[in-house]
Amino acid sequence: MSKIWVTSYLTEHSGDDAFVTLSGYRARGGYEAARKALTQMSPDEVTEAVKDAGLQGRGGAGFSAGLKWSFMPKDTDKPKYLVCNADESEPGSFKDRLLLERTPHQMLEGILIAAWATGAEKTFVYVRGEYAEPGRIVERAIEEAYAEGVLGEKVLGTDFRHDVVLTYGAGAYICGEETGLLESLEGKKGQPRKKPPFPAQYGAFGMPTTVNNVETFCHVPHIVRHGPDWFREFGTEKSPGTTLFGVSGHVKRPGLYELPLGTRLDEIVFQHAGGPPEGRKVKGVIPGGMSMPILPASQLDVPMANEFLRERKTMLGTGGIMVMDDTTCMVRVASVVTYFFRDESCGQCTQCREGTGWMHKIVQRIERGAGAREDLDVLLDVAGKMEGQTICAFADAAAWPVQGLLRHFREDFEAHVEHKKCPFPESFEL
Amino acid sequence: MRITVDGREYEVESGRTILQALDDLGLLMSEVDIPHYCWHPKLSIDGSCRLCQVEVEGIPKLQIACNTLVQDGMVVRTQNERVQRAREGVMELLLVNHPLDCPICDQAGECKLQDYAFEYGVPHARTKEPRRALKKRVDLGPTILLDQERCILCRRCVRFCCEVPETGELGVFARGDRSVLDTFPGMELDNPYSMNVADICPVGALTTKDFRFKIRVWFLEDVPGVCTGCANGCNVHLGVANNKVYRYVPRRNDAVNETWICDAGRLSYREIGAPDRLQHPQVRGADGRLAVVPLADAIAAAAGRLRKTLDGHGPGAVAALASPHATNEDLFVLRRLLAALGAETAGFAVVRGEADALLVKQEKAANAAGARALGFGDAASVLERVRSRDVRALVALGHDVLGAGHLHGDLSALAGLETVIWLDTHRAALESAAHVVIPVRHAAEKDGTLTNHAGRVQRVRPAVEPAFEARSEGEVLWRLGAELGLDGFEGGYDVRAVSKALAEAVPAFRGLDLDAVGEGGAPLHGADA
Amino acid sequence: MVISEQGRAAIQKEMARYPEKRGALLPALYIVQREKGHVDRETAIALAELFEVRPIEVLEVITFYNMFYDRPQGRHHVHVCTNLPCSLRGARSLLRELEAHLGIHAGETTADGRITLGHEECLGACAYAPMMRVDESYHEDLDAAQAKSILDGLE
Repeated sequence: MSKIWVTSYLTEHSGDDAFVTLSGYRARGGYEAARKALTQMSPDEVTEAVKDAGLQGRGGAGFSAGLKWSFMPKDTDKPKYLVCNADESEPGSFKDRLLLERTPHQMLEGILIAAWATGAEKTFVYVRGEYAEPGRIVERAIEEAYAEGVLGEKVLGTDFRHDVVLTYGAGAYICGEETGLLESLEGKKGQPRKKPPFPAQYGAFGMPTTVNNVETFCHVPHIVRHGPDWFREFGTEKSPGTTLFGVSGHVKRPGLYELPLGTRLDEIVFQHAGGPPEGRKVKGVIPGGMSMPILPASQLDVPMANEFLRERKTMLGTGGIMVMDDTTCMVRVASVVTYFFRDESCGQCTQCREGTGWMHKIVQRIERGAGAREDLDVLLDVAGKMEGQTICAFADAAAWPVQGLLRHFREDFEAHVEHKKCPFPESFEL
Repeated sequence: MRITVDGREYEVESGRTILQALDDLGLLMSEVDIPHYCWHPKLSIDGSCRLCQVEVEGIPKLQIACNTLVQDGMVVRTQNERVQRAREGVMELLLVNHPLDCPICDQAGECKLQDYAFEYGVPHARTKEPRRALKKRVDLGPTILLDQERCILCRRCVRFCCEVPETGELGVFARGDRSVLDTFPGMELDNPYSMNVADICPVGALTTKDFRFKIRVWFLEDVPGVCTGCANGCNVHLGVANNKVYRYVPRRNDAVNETWICDAGRLSYREIGAPDRLQHPQVRGADGRLAVVPLADAIAAAAGRLRKTLDGHGPGAVAALASPHATNEDLFVLRRLLAALGAETAGFAVVRGEADALLVKQEKAANAAGARALGFGDAASVLERVRSRDVRALVALGHDVLGAGHLHGDLSALAGLETVIWLDTHRAALESAAHVVIPVRHAAEKDGTLTNHAGRVQRVRPAVEPAFEARSEGEVLWRLGAELGLDGFEGGYDVRAVSKALAEAVPAFRGLDLDAVGEGGAPLHGADA
Repeated sequence: MVISEQGRAAIQKEMARYPEKRGALLPALYIVQREKGHVDRETAIALAELFEVRPIEVLEVITFYNMFYDRPQGRHHVHVCTNLPCSLRGARSLLRELEAHLGIHAGETTADGRITLGHEECLGACAYAPMMRVDESYHEDLDAAQAKSILDGLE
C-alpha cells in the first residue's frame, strides 16, 4: 500500500478508505466539478480554464494539458478518444499507483471533464500489467460509476455520453510513450509511431486521440472547481500546481510528498524525507525519474520546476527523486541505468537499439575494472549520437542520465579505470 | 511547389516526402545523396534506420527525409557537417553488432552497409565488446537463407512480405538489441515473390539459395534486359560473367514491374544455358533420320523444300507459325518473307498458365502482344489448313503450338506435310515432325524488342553469345529469303535496319525502333502501357 | 480445442470492448496464459485465427512484452525488482538469497515447476524497497527472511 507523508488537494483524502468508493468520493464533493463543467461550461471554456491554470502534463514531458486538448479537431465526424496513461514505469516513480489505488474517482472525474472539453466519446485507461491490484480498484470504480449513471449514456443525468474501457499493458516501459501506448492498445508491439501524424489527428485505432497521464487528469477537477487563479496559488508562475514527488533510495523517510512545484529539492530530500541515513552524506540525486540527469550534492538548492532544473541540465520528469548517499558507486548506478534502457528499448531506431546495448556493455566493463580512459569518451560520444535523433524520446532518456553521471561523477569512472576495480567497497551490490 | 536542396531548386509534387519527391525526379543517389536503409520507394515508410536525416531550415532537429513532407519553399541541406555527423553516428552504431565478415559474405560488392560505411562513415565501430551471436544460417524456406547476425533490422523484407505478396511470413521477435528477424516456428518464407527479399536486403542477411556463393558480384556485368517468363516483360539486369548468365535481378521500371520480379521469372535465366538448348542445324535425310549439317546447308535445304512446294502447289500451300518468344524484328522478317512468297496462312500459339494480381501474366511468352500487333492471328486457322491439306509446307517458329493445345498432343496432324522447317531455342517434340531443324537465339543472346502484355515495346540485347552456331529467327529467315532470291532480302541481315523498317512499315510501331525505345521501353501507338 | 470454450467466450467479450477486435489481443493473451501458464505455438495459431491475423504477428507481440511467455513457466512468478531505487536498498542481495534458497538462478524455474524466479525493472514501489511481485501481488519493505517465507508458502 502506498504511503503519503505530505498531502495537498490531490491526496487530501487518500488515507480515507471511503474515498475510494463512489459514495465516499461524492460525500467530499466528488463529481461536482464534472457536473459544473457539463452543465455550466462550454467545452472551450473548460479547455481555456485548464490552459489558464497552466497545468503541465505530469507524465514526464511537462507539455501544457490545455494546449494538448485544443489540438483535438472540432470539425470531424470521426469518434474521438482519450487515453489515460496509467503505464507508470519510470524508475523512481510510484505516484500514479497511489492515485489509482486511493483516488480512482478523482481520476475518472478528470477524465469526464477532459472528455467534455475534447468531445471524446470514449476513454481507454491503459494500466501497466504489473499494476493488477491498482487496476482492479479502478475497474471497481468504473463499474460503480456506470451503475450510478456517472459514466455511460447519460453522464450525471446530462445528454453527454462517455464510456471508459480499462485495459492492461504487459510489461514494456516503452508503452508509457504515448504512441507506443497507442500501438499496444491496438494489440500490437508497443513501438512508438513516427510523427507526423500526431495522435490528435491519428491516434488510437486511427481516430483523433489525446493521451494524458493519471495525475494530469487528477488535477483537472480541482481546476474546474476552484478556477485557474486558485490553481496558480500553488507552484511557480511557469509551473503551477502541486505534484506528487516520490522519494526513494538513501533517505530516512522514502515515500510520496504532495508539494507545490518549485519546492526546493534539498528541502524535499533533507527536511521532508529526512536526509540520508545516520553518518552518511548525500552524494547525488536524480530529480525526476531515471531518464533525468543526476545532480551532485552541491546542486540540490534548486526549485523543482522545469524552468529552474533546465539551468542545471536536468528536468522534473515524473518527479521521482532518487537519493544516493556517499557509499554509492556511480559506475554501478550507470550500470543499472544502462541495463534498464538496453532492456526496454523497443529496438526500432538504430541509434537506440545499438546505442543502449553498447553503452551498457562499456559501463559493465568499466565496472569490472577492465575499462580504459578512452572508454569514457566513447560513452559520451555514443550518448551524443543517440540524442535527438530517433522516433521517440526514449533514446534521449537513455543518453541523458549517462551524460549526467559523467558530467558530475567522472572521477568515479576514472577511479575504476585506474584501480582496475570498484573502489567503493560499501556500495550497493550489483 | 518548389523546394531547395543543397542550393538547387526543384519543382516537386505536394503530398510527397523529401525522399519520395527526389525519387520522383530520379535524382536520389545521383544528383542528391541521401543514404537510407529502411526506406524503399515501393514499400511503406518505416522511419527507423534514421540514416536519411537531413537539415530542414527552420526546424531545430534533423529530420528524416523519408517521412518529412515537402513544403513550398522548404530548404533542405543534405551535406553539411551536422548531417554528416549524424550519418557517421548511425553507421558506427549499425556496425557495433555487425559481424564484419565481408570476406566470406556473399553480399560483398553490393552491400549498402559496406558502401555507406565507406562513403559516409567509419570502417568499423570502436567497440571492444563482444558482438551478438545469433544464427548464421537459417533456412527460411525453398529460396532464401538468413544470417541473423548480419541483419540490421531495417524490416524492408518484413514490409515486403506484408505489402507485396501479402503473405507476411517474416517478423521481428523480442525487442531492443535482442530483436531478431525470423519466421513463425515451423512456417516457411514461401511465396511466388520470395526472392525479392534478397534484392531489397541492404546487407548480406538474406541471400538466395540460387545465387549464393556462385560468383563474386564484382565479376558480374549487369546487362539490361527483359525477363521472358511471361507476357509481363519484367525488366531485369542479367548478371553476366564468362559468357554465362548467373542471375536475373529486377531492374526498376515503374510502368512494368516497379522493382520486383516473380521467382519463376527470376529463375528463368536458367533456360539460357540449359542442357536442352537446340544446338545443331539438322536436315532429315532420305533415310528418314535427322543429320547434323552446317547452318548454310540447313538453310539451303529449307529453301529447296519450300521452292518445291511453291512450284508444286503455289504460295497458298506455304504457311507459318510465328513464335511469341521471338522479337518484334524476327516476326517482322517472317511477315516480310510470307509477303514475298505470297503466302497468307500464318498465326501463332502461346502457352497459357496461371496469372496473379501482381506481375505474373497468363501468357507464358514475352512477345505474344508483338505477334498480335504484327498481324498474326490464332494458330488454329493454320492448323485447320494443315489438316485439310491445303497447306503442304510449314515454317514453324518455336513450339508453343504443342503446349497451347492446338494439336491436342497429337503430332499426326502434321504428318501430311511434305515440309516442316522448325526454328527453335530448345528441344521439343516438334523435332520428330521436322524436316529441317534450325537452332535460334534466346532473347538474351540478340538485339531486338519485345512487346509486353500491355503493349510496351522493350529492348533486349545480346548479353551472352551462344556456344554453338545459332542466329536469330530474323537472321535465319532473312537468309532463307535471300536463298529463295526473294525481293527485299538483299544484302546481309542487319537487325537495326529491320527495326527501322518495322518502325516505318507498321503504324503501331511508328518511331519504336530498338534504339528509340530506351531503357524503360515505350508503348505501342494505341496501347495504354 | 487449443483454447477452451470459456476462454473463447472471454476473448469474444473482450473484442467487443474495442473499436477493432485486434485491440483485445493483449487481454486475450492474458486469458489463454491464465489457462496454460504460457502461450504455446498451437495457441498462438489459434489466437491468430480468432483475430484474423497471422500467427507471426501474435508471436511478435508475445516476445515483445515481458509478461507474456512462449514457453512453459513455473506455477508462480516471483520477480524481484532490481532497478535503481530497489538496488540502492539491497534488492540484488535479496535476489541472490532467493536464488540460493530455491537453488536456481534468476530466469530459471524450480525442478518441481513451482516457481519461476526473475528480476524485473521498476515496479512502482520505489519507496518500499526491496520488494517483489509474486504473481499479481506486491510484497514490499522485505527482508530476506520474510521473502523466503512468502516463497515457502507458495503451492
